[in-house]
Amino acid sequence: MDCNTCDTAPAVVINKPEVVQVALTISDKAKEMLESAFGDDRSHALLVGVLSGGCSGYMYDLQIVESTDQDCQELKVDGFRVLVPNASSHLLDGIEIDYVDRLMGGGFKINNPNASSSCGCGESFA
Amino acid sequence: MGIYKLDSYVLIIRGKDRLSFIDGLSTNKVDGNCSTVFTTTAAKIIDLVEVIDMGDFIAIVGHQPYKDNLIQHISKRVLNQDISIVDVSANNSVYLSTNDVVVSDKVTKRKTWRGWLLVAPNSDAMTPDMSEDEFSEYRVENMIPHQGHEITPSVHPLACGLGNLVHEAKGCYIGQEILARMRSRGRQGKELVRLPNPVDDATTTGKTHSLAIVRKKSK
Repeated sequence: MDCNTCDTAPAVVINKPEVVQVALTISDKAKEMLESAFGDDRSHALLVGVLSGGCSGYMYDLQIVESTDQDCQELKVDGFRVLVPNASSHLLDGIEIDYVDRLMGGGFKINNPNASSSCGCGESFA
Repeated sequence: MGIYKLDSYVLIIRGKDRLSFIDGLSTNKVDGNCSTVFTTTAAKIIDLVEVIDMGDFIAIVGHQPYKDNLIQHISKRVLNQDISIVDVSANNSVYLSTNDVVVSDKVTKRKTWRGWLLVAPNSDAMTPDMSEDEFSEYRVENMIPHQGHEITPSVHPLACGLGNLVHEAKGCYIGQEILARMRSRGRQGKELVRLPNPVDDATTTGKTHSLAIVRKKSK
């Protein structure tokens, strides 16, 4: 393979989806759990992102962060700082962050009106 | 046997997330040179590709007629990852050699389960000496499935002889739930077989034997 050819070969256009101004909600149970996770310190933010992969093509990524180097939009939802990466904003507009109280498979859960299907564990969607 | 020219595309993927990106979307564990299969959420094949690790980038080599579907499948899943994709298909020719042959420095050679894969820049194009019939005979003899024959968008990897490329423990990828369920319940439906001629619905016909995808007999 002659790698000098790479510079002259056509680059595949990677679809850059339009950045959407995200609106999201947090359920009462999720609020309760976030309050216990954050405590009184609201300097940190909840990062709600999407990674490629998983059984259905995309995976949710929830993190508590101080800051991030990703290009994000910052929302204020029920007193919480929420960061949503612009690259995945088109997949996250309209979501509800919920919390499922179960011994197995419990934890934060995303209800996403943009998802056409999701896998059994709830972490992955298409 | 000899060298057969494949109808292939070559995509160059750069960026620090190149291996994890392909790993998260395909059936095999991708941490360097390997063969892997991209599947839909219904576990149907998008393409079988060879991953060639070139150090600071990887090349993926697949079947030219399946290129557009593969590009559409992977490009919409580039979100925040450090990934760039370049199509160098027009600049290279791809061959499969049944023997380990000596090649020039400019030709990339990798041993795969199908034989030696050779990616040559057009300036160093090779002379294939194997006809399509001879390549089919080689495949029938060695039970090697090929795109457009056994490997098509209407089958899943377990049904066309690509079970060795479906990693059991790597974790989630698109189509994984269905393939894992088929394996754990012993219900893969169909399988690739090599049968003596004549064979109804053969996917590849050889001189004395043929390949076919048939319903798996229950034990």
